[in-house]
Amino acid sequence: MMQVTLLVNGEERRLSAEPLTPLLDVLRDTLHLTGAKPVCREGFCGACMVLLDGAPAVACLTPVALADGRSVETVEGLGTAETPSPVQRALEEHEAVQCGMCFPGMVVTLTHLTRPGNCAPTRDAVKAGLVGNLCRCTGYERIVDAALAVMEDGR
Amino acid sequence: MQGLAPPPVAVPRTLPEALAALSAAGDGAAPLAGGTWIMRAPIRHEAHAPAYVALGRIAELRRIDVADDEVAIGAAVTHAELAKALSPFSDLAALAAAAAGSANPAVRNAATIGGNLCARGFPAADLVPALLCLDAVVEIAEAAAPAGSRRLPVEAFLADPAATGGGRIVTRIVLKRSGLRSVHVRLPLRKAGDYPVAIVSAAIGVGGGGRVESARIAVGSVEAAPRRWTGLEGAINGERLDPARIAALAASLAPEFSGRDGVEAPGWYRVRVLPTLVGRAIAALAAAA
Amino acid sequence: MSLSAETAVRNFRRRDARDKLTGRTRYTIDRGHFGMLHAALLRSPVPSGRIVRLDIEAAARMPGVRAIVTSADAPGRAGIGIADHPLFASNVVRYRGEPIAAVAAETEAEARAALAAIGLAIEPLPAVLDMAAALAEDAPLVHPDWRDHAVLHAGGARGGNVAWEATVERGDVEAAFARRDVTLVETSLRVPRQNHVPFEPRAVVARFEDGRFHIETSTQVPWTVRNATAALLGVPAAAIRVTVPPVGGGFGLKFDWALEPFAALLARRAGRPVRLVNSREEEMQTCLFRENAEIRIRSAVTADGAVAGREAVVLMDCGAYGGEQVFLTTMTAHTLGGNYRLGAVRIVSRAVYTNTAPNGAFRACNGVYNTFALERHTDEIAAATGIAPETFRRQNVVGDGDLGATGQVFEGDVLGPMLDRMRALRDKTPVATPQDGRLWGRATTVGTWFVFTGPSAATVNMNADGSATLVTSGVEIGSGSMQQALPQIVAATLGLQPEDVVVRAADTDAAGYDVGVGGGRTTVSLGAASRAAAIEVRTRLLKVAGDMLEAAAEDLVMADGRIEIAGARGSGLTIAEVAAHAQARYGPVSGTGSFAAAGTPAMAGCCAGHFIEALDIPVFAVHDCDLAVDPGTGHVEVLAYRVVQDVGRALNPPAIFGQIQGGVVQGLGYALHEEADVGPDGGIRQASFETYRLPLAGDVVPVAIDLYEGAPSLGPLGTKGAGEVPILNVGATIACAVARATGGRVCELPLTPPRVLALLSGEAPPPAFPHIAERHADNLLPSAPRQGGGG
Repeated sequence: MMQVTLLVNGEERRLSAEPLTPLLDVLRDTLHLTGAKPVCREGFCGACMVLLDGAPAVACLTPVALADGRSVETVEGLGTAETPSPVQRALEEHEAVQCGMCFPGMVVTLTHLTRPGNCAPTRDAVKAGLVGNLCRCTGYERIVDAALAVMEDGR
Repeated sequence: MQGLAPPPVAVPRTLPEALAALSAAGDGAAPLAGGTWIMRAPIRHEAHAPAYVALGRIAELRRIDVADDEVAIGAAVTHAELAKALSPFSDLAALAAAAAGSANPAVRNAATIGGNLCARGFPAADLVPALLCLDAVVEIAEAAAPAGSRRLPVEAFLADPAATGGGRIVTRIVLKRSGLRSVHVRLPLRKAGDYPVAIVSAAIGVGGGGRVESARIAVGSVEAAPRRWTGLEGAINGERLDPARIAALAASLAPEFSGRDGVEAPGWYRVRVLPTLVGRAIAALAAAA
Repeated sequence: MSLSAETAVRNFRRRDARDKLTGRTRYTIDRGHFGMLHAALLRSPVPSGRIVRLDIEAAARMPGVRAIVTSADAPGRAGIGIADHPLFASNVVRYRGEPIAAVAAETEAEARAALAAIGLAIEPLPAVLDMAAALAEDAPLVHPDWRDHAVLHAGGARGGNVAWEATVERGDVEAAFARRDVTLVETSLRVPRQNHVPFEPRAVVARFEDGRFHIETSTQVPWTVRNATAALLGVPAAAIRVTVPPVGGGFGLKFDWALEPFAALLARRAGRPVRLVNSREEEMQTCLFRENAEIRIRSAVTADGAVAGREAVVLMDCGAYGGEQVFLTTMTAHTLGGNYRLGAVRIVSRAVYTNTAPNGAFRACNGVYNTFALERHTDEIAAATGIAPETFRRQNVVGDGDLGATGQVFEGDVLGPMLDRMRALRDKTPVATPQDGRLWGRATTVGTWFVFTGPSAATVNMNADGSATLVTSGVEIGSGSMQQALPQIVAATLGLQPEDVVVRAADTDAAGYDVGVGGGRTTVSLGAASRAAAIEVRTRLLKVAGDMLEAAAEDLVMADGRIEIAGARGSGLTIAEVAAHAQARYGPVSGTGSFAAAGTPAMAGCCAGHFIEALDIPVFAVHDCDLAVDPGTGHVEVLAYRVVQDVGRALNPPAIFGQIQGGVVQGLGYALHEEADVGPDGGIRQASFETYRLPLAGDVVPVAIDLYEGAPSLGPLGTKGAGEVPILNVGATIACAVARATGGRVCELPLTPPRVLALLSGEAPPPAFPHIAERHADNLLPSAPRQGGGG
């Protein structure tokens, strides 16, 4: 076991874990942040996406040892029921949600993509940015519409 | 796996510390870079190494030094960092494109160039054929020789199963700047997001008459290990950058590959598409010229 | 008093979106209880074999282990049509991955370590891994004891490795094929399995308290789970309560029992809550796939393009247990036998046992590949007769008064006008043909599906605060029908806003029986039951209001949260006032409603072995696409996709558009990317997201959609189910367009780049089926009931 310090959604959390434990399991099982979903556990689906020092990371393939001392933002830190983020609000307004399992990861990726300079405001660019976020229900297009709307508002 | 203690991970800050930690951890201990390959060992039903030494906090392994005559890339540089740093240089376009197009954005933020080279048993690695066509040299450090790094051409590195392991750490990848234009063409089965079923990376020099003077062409994912396509390199010498003509040459030489059958694609398909990929590579080079 | 959709609030947004977007929704996989144990299953490593040793002694002594159960603990069998499926393998294993034992321990790692300590020895037996092997002469039988299985639904022929056989025969097909003036067209086609890949795997948390089981599970069918668990465990069904948290995707996978009985047994044995969740690999290996199928279809067509006769053999791989395929043999008559007017027809549809993981239900099950087969065959008919495919379809689609394959009489002209609407939609959404050397193809196809009606129950409690609580066993699986259509229907009936209707999550202790969420039935069956319950509430409220207002109930209207005398705005009371008065005076107001299938008739004597002989509510779809094929690599790019869908009445167009976009994309996966097949070891070769390729954002296009309203429907407010059908003819449409682009005979899906490249180079011959006999009659079990040729 190793002692690990994570800055989780702005709060310092100290815990002990086997160093190769996926960050995903630490978030869910130890910190009860169940927003990030274990779906494929091989870095393809993006349902466990978090921001690690501000950059998207698949928490399933991130050993907690490599997250030690770093900032981890999860979907829970990006917005709440009372104060959803612009990305969350846009997805809601575009009626993008179906089963919802992919959306925590979608929200994290789109939060990064819609920050200035990270993605051109075009359908193709947004779709390229979503290569690592799969959705089985929606057929994606409304998610892209929502992302473009956020970029449009942010300009 | 079962019954073994979970492996410890050391997180050193310097290369000497890492080498020391690796030899202290004993036989079978391995470096850990981005983790995107090693963390999937359970999915492949493979055992973890008994111990790991993480490289991500070692500053010198995270540097990219671009000089006029050579580029030195730290082994722990991620695909995303590499793509960004190399994007201005047309001679390094193959490597930049390989780094920018592999896997998906989050994996590119974690996966490293050293990890890509050391993930033996992963035939679809994007960076490796790009490094082959750019004539890369791999630097390896070991505790026994901390002062001087061993340097191996990438082909020799790939051919030598003992180049990694045994307390060795890949530290840098060095590319001579040839000035040739280079290109990387990959073929995923979907538009993106797959491992490519075939890759063609090429660095080609064209003389004043518009004819090929030098060519280094590498093929990835088609066979179990990436390799140079020396037959095609020789055949296009003196040819113009005519995609159809060179694709036809590639078609005549493609049978020298024995495609690997995989769940995602049969071997014949990987070979069959090579001329098309070569044609695309030549078209891209001709357009850039 | 008439009720109509005009009073329904449309375009009502779903109420679960925000929690899903902020990561707060707790699916079954996110749930836990104090003292909860973690379970794991020991699964067979071989596809067929005899268990010669199963020793759990050592495993039981492993650290953290609290309970181990095996076949000795679960004596029963379950199934659909035939009770052939035990919970655990006992004596023999019939597929790789079949559960043999279950362990509960303090941690999942301890449970898995204990699995490794179970002493298991299996003597391998010959396995039949595909239908050709299963139907070969002297093939080993997957169920040598098939005669001993209890039959739950009479009428299907069974024998050997044929788990179930359904037949249709209407008219004299022999005579039609013998005519001198017909052209004979024959097409053979094959499709592999498709994996649902819901992002939430099958998962359960079970408890055993006060002599009853409480099962929280990710399911579409709480009542099936309740009843099947009881049958498998040999306990009374009343001893089981099933509740369902939000479900992270189902698509039909969760239309059957799964992990629940294991967790229930372990919870009872250990006296602790038990969690059991499939790993992704377990899901990939043992999901109840859309079945692989093999189809031969023949038609006799006259020069003017009438189908004088049609015959077909459809083989459906059910895997090691009959499951849903036994039922789905029924659907061939309506899908492969659908779409077009037929002079005479005979079809045999067989569910075949193999030593592979059981298959199951998947969105528009059976219909997806039969529509692929029928529409490709239709294009081959058009080519053989020299009639343009569009013309052939417009001439031959079923219309008002036409007979279906089983002799059902269709009502209304629907498909014909839908084809006209598709032509208009194409004109409105043109695409440029590729100018880059790629091959262009386009196609329009038609499809016939249905609403799976069946029993539903609902209760509406009218609260004194003016809100209503709707109690059903319906489950929200992501499609939104529980969140949108049902409160819309109840609100429309009661003059409330949909927001005023609380929707109770499924609980078999609280609500009456329901078949489950699937088959497009939520809006129709649960909707009809909910509407009936709301009408009862409405009647009672109006009576009370009539007393309060000194007016006749029939002179009152309920709208906008008020009950008023018709034509006199402001004359009445709020619904809350009436409900509060009623509650105080007579007791709280509630109503119950129920619904069952209408039982639409087929022609007498046409069908044998069918569960549904005619469609209560047919649903039609017309799809169209433009695509480009890369001749160098075989890649297919969809340039445009268009859908005209029969929805009866569109209560919530944005929700339906969302279902169509999502369903079409799942269909694109089936048509182009997703392939699951059985390897030589009996396992599914595509065991992870690396090799099982789901469509990505970059692989899809926005679907152009036109909703066709006004077709006849028994559904409440004229609705039909809209969520299931969008996947129906995607495989067909892509296949027809690729065939036209390449000039090749497309006979298999998915059209992956290797398959398309082989097609382009003439290296993809149509499949040959030595196990389908030349003569139709030789494809029937000897015991199958036969109809005379006269029909």
